[in-house]
Amino acid sequence: MADMRHRTCLVFDPAELHYDFGPGHPLQPGRLKALMDLLECSGLWRPGEEYTRLPLRAATLEELRLVHTADYIAAVQRLSREQGDGSDEERRERARLALRYGFDDGDTPAQPGMHEAAARVVGGTLVAMSAVLGLPTGGALAGNERPLHVFHPAGGLHHAWAERASGFCIYNDIAVAIASVLQASEAKILYIDFDVHHGDGVQRAFYDDPRVMTISLHETGRYLFPGTGDVLELGRGSGRGYSVNVPLEPFTEDDSYIEAIDALLSPLAASFAPDIIITQHGCDPHAWDPLAHLSLTMRGIQAQIKAAHALAHNYCGGRWVAVGGGGYDLYRVVPRAWSMVWAEMSGQQLPERLPDEWVQRWQPAWQAAREEEETAQQVMGKDTLPSYFPATFLDRAEDFPEQPRRWNISRTNRHTVALVRHLLLSSYMRQAFPTARQRSPLAGLFDLLHMNRDTAPSRSKMIQTEKGPILLRDFCPPSLVERLRPDSGLKAFARLPEREHQLLLGIAKSSDSALTLAHTPSGVIVGQVTIAPADEWWEGIENVYEVAIEVSANWRGLGIARHLLAFALELDALEDMIFFAVGLSWHWDTEGLGISMYRYRELLAKLFATQGFKEYPTTEPNVSMEPANVLLARIGQRVDKRTASKFLNRMLSSPNLARI
Amino acid sequence: MIVRDIMTTRLITVAPDDTLAHAASLFRQYGFHHLPVARTVSLSLAEQAEGHEQRKTALLLQGVLTAQDINMAAAVDRSDEAGAGMWQERRVAEVMHRALIRVTPTTSVAAAAQILVERGLDYLPVVEYSQADQENRAILVGLITRSDLLNALARAMGAFEPGMQIDIALPEGDMSPLTRTLLLAAELHVPIRSIMAAPLASEGVPHSATLRLGTIHPTPLLLRLQREGIRYSFGTPQQEGAPIGGGEKHG
Repeated sequence: MADMRHRTCLVFDPAELHYDFGPGHPLQPGRLKALMDLLECSGLWRPGEEYTRLPLRAATLEELRLVHTADYIAAVQRLSREQGDGSDEERRERARLALRYGFDDGDTPAQPGMHEAAARVVGGTLVAMSAVLGLPTGGALAGNERPLHVFHPAGGLHHAWAERASGFCIYNDIAVAIASVLQASEAKILYIDFDVHHGDGVQRAFYDDPRVMTISLHETGRYLFPGTGDVLELGRGSGRGYSVNVPLEPFTEDDSYIEAIDALLSPLAASFAPDIIITQHGCDPHAWDPLAHLSLTMRGIQAQIKAAHALAHNYCGGRWVAVGGGGYDLYRVVPRAWSMVWAEMSGQQLPERLPDEWVQRWQPAWQAAREEEETAQQVMGKDTLPSYFPATFLDRAEDFPEQPRRWNISRTNRHTVALVRHLLLSSYMRQAFPTARQRSPLAGLFDLLHMNRDTAPSRSKMIQTEKGPILLRDFCPPSLVERLRPDSGLKAFARLPEREHQLLLGIAKSSDSALTLAHTPSGVIVGQVTIAPADEWWEGIENVYEVAIEVSANWRGLGIARHLLAFALELDALEDMIFFAVGLSWHWDTEGLGISMYRYRELLAKLFATQGFKEYPTTEPNVSMEPANVLLARIGQRVDKRTASKFLNRMLSSPNLARI
Repeated sequence: MIVRDIMTTRLITVAPDDTLAHAASLFRQYGFHHLPVARTVSLSLAEQAEGHEQRKTALLLQGVLTAQDINMAAAVDRSDEAGAGMWQERRVAEVMHRALIRVTPTTSVAAAAQILVERGLDYLPVVEYSQADQENRAILVGLITRSDLLNALARAMGAFEPGMQIDIALPEGDMSPLTRTLLLAAELHVPIRSIMAAPLASEGVPHSATLRLGTIHPTPLLLRLQREGIRYSFGTPQQEGAPIGGGEKHG
C-alpha cells in the first residue's frame, strides 16, 4: 500500500513553541519539544534533511478571515499586545474583550504575542494542505517536489469558533486551511477528528457545506467538554449527511474503538469520495490522559493512525495531512503517539524500545508533575493505573486492566455505530461494507430465499428495450461482476464508476446479500437491485429484507426498472418475507431526471406498487426527516400475524434512538 | 423569564378571507403546524388624540388555523362526491379555531408552559389588549409554541455553549454546597454556562444542582470541591451510560 517513492514532510517551526498559556496550564509546548527530541533520538527524522521538511509561514489576516470574524481577529490582536498605559479605561476594555471573545476563563487566557503564535500554527496547517494539493498558497512546488503526506504536530486547534476562543484554541487552523482549499480549488475534503473531545469548531465552520465531510470520534458529550457531538448532529441544509459524530462511552477500550473505526471510516470515505483527507490526532483518548475518560492504549491509537493512512491511499490517491491536537499526558503519551503518526506516514518501522537517552531526559519532567497528574486522574473519577514511565513505543497490555463494565460499554458503542451507519450510509453502502453480524443458521441468503429451488443458483432472462436487448441476472456471482463494467450513469455508491464496480463486487461476494444486475450484451451494467437483511434498526423482527434499486441515468424511461425489480423478486420465499424499500430524497438525482422530488417519490411508489409494495407512514428517523422521503413495504401473505404487527409497530415506534 | 423573551415574533399569518388552498401552501412552504389568523387594521391611538390623530397598523387576532383543520376539511370533502375539490376554495374563517385561550407578553413562561400542558395545546397566541376606536381589541404580537419552550429549556441548560456538565449534591435540599461551588468557580475563573436545581416531582426540594461549566479543564475546580467536602458526580446514574464517579460518590 505505502508507496515510498513519494515525498513525506514534517512541518515544525520552533516559533510554534510560543503557542503557550504559561506555567501550570495543561497544554504545554514541552510536549512538542519532547516529540521532536524523540523523533531525532530514534532516528525517525533528521532535522538537517531538507527533503522531509516543509517551511511554514504565518497565516495572513485575509486567510484568517475565511473562518474568523473581523471583530474577533481584531480583539485577539488587541489582547495580544502588551498592556499599554495600564489605565483603568484600558483595563476595562481588555476585560470586556476577554469576556466577549472567550478569553476570560482559565482555559484560554489572553497572552502577549498570542495572535502571532496562533497565526503561525494556522499557517502551518494551511501550507501543509496547499502543498499536498499543489496549490500556490503552499509555495508552488514542482510536481516531484510536492509531498503526498504532511504532518503538522502543532496544529489541530479544533475548538476555536468563528468569533470566540474555546478549549485552548484561538484560531482554528484546520478550518482555515480547509476554507482556503475550498476557495482555491474544487476539491472535496474529508476531515477525521480522533481527539477525545468533539471537534465542534470544525464541524460548525462547515455544517452546511457538502464539500466538507467532518467525522469526529470522541467521548460522549454527556459529561465531557464541549458537550456536543451527538449522532443526530448530521449537518444542515445541503450539508445534511456530511457531519458525522461517533460519541463513545466513557472507558471505551481498544477493541471497541477499533471496531467502530472499521465499521465506519471506509464506507464513509468511499461514499464521500474526497480529494484529500485531513486527520486530527489528539491523543487524549489514551487511558493515561488526565482530562478525559476513554481507556485506549497505544494499540488503539496505532490502529487509528494506520486506518487514516489506508483511507488516504484507498480513496484519495494518498493525499493526506495529519495534525496534532489534544493530549495532556505531555511526556508519556504525546511524544510516542505522534512519533507513531510520523513513522506510519513516512513508511518507517517503529523501533520497539524508546531510546535510553530520551527516557533519561524526559522522565524527570514527568516525575516532577507526577503527583499532580495522579490527583487529576482521581478527581476525574478514573481508577489509578500503575504509574511508571514507559520504556517502549507500545503499551504493555497487562498494565491496563479490563474495565469492569466492558461488555456494556462495547454494546452501547456498537449501537451508536449502528445508528451512525443507519443514518449516514445508504443501504447500498451498508451492504457493500457489512459489519460482522450474527449469521443466520442457514448458509446464505440464497438458501433462505429459495428453499425449493434445485436449479442453477443464478437465473438469467433477456428483455427487449428500445435501446436493444438487456440481460437480467440474479444472485450474480463475483466472477460475473468482474467481467462486467458499470455504466457511467450509475451513482448509488460513489459517483465514480471504478469504485462502483469494486463495491458491486463486494456485494456479490457477501453471502448476506443478493445482487441482481441488468446489463447489456456487451457487458455494461445499467441497473442493479440489492436485497439484504434489514439493518439494526429492525433488529428482533424475523425475515425483514431491504430492497434497493437503481437504473443508470442513461437508461431510464425504458421500463428496465420494472422488469428488473419483478425479476429480482421472483423468489420462492417471497410470501414468507417482509421486504421494504426506503426512498430518501437527498439520494435522488432529481436534477438528472428533471422532475421534482414529489414527482420522483410518486414514480418510486408506482414502481414498487407493481410488486405489491404499499406506502406506510413511519417514524423511522431517516424517512421522517423529510416529507418527500418514503417507506414502501410488502408483507408476504404467509408472514405470521405477530411478526407482521411487530414490523408495523416498529415502523411507528417512537423514534427513541437509544433503543437500537 | 416571561413570554416576551422566548416567543416567536416573526409571524406568518393568514387572513380570514384567504382560501384554504393558500393556507395549505403556506403550511407546506414553511413546515408549520399552525398559522394565526389575523386581520390587518389601522388603529387610532386614543391617548394622543390631541390635534391630529395618530394611526398605526396592527394585526387583530381572529383565530388559529391548524394543519389538521385543513386535513379535516379535505377529508370531509372527499367523502362528499359532489363537492370533490371544493375544500380548496373554502375560506379560512369557516374552519379556523377562535383560539380563546391567549397569553400576554408579560405572562411568565412557567404559567404559559402549565397552560400548554394542562390544556393539551401545542401553541398559544400572544396578544396585547389595546383600547382603540372605543373598543378593546386583541392585537397579535407573537406566538408561543412547544418548540419555543423546548428551545428555551435547551438554552437554559446551556446547550448552545461549549461546556461540560457536573452535578452537585444538595443533601436535604440544602443549597449551601451550590453557593460554595459558585464562589469557588468565580475564584478559579471557571465560567458557569447554566445552573439548574429543580425539585423532583415527588419532593419539594432539589437534591442536586446541574451545572454546565465552560471549561475543558475542570481539574482545579474538582480538586477544590473535593478538599472542601462538596460532593459531585458527572451525571446521575442511569441504566445506560453509568456516571463517572468523582470525589465522594452520591448515595
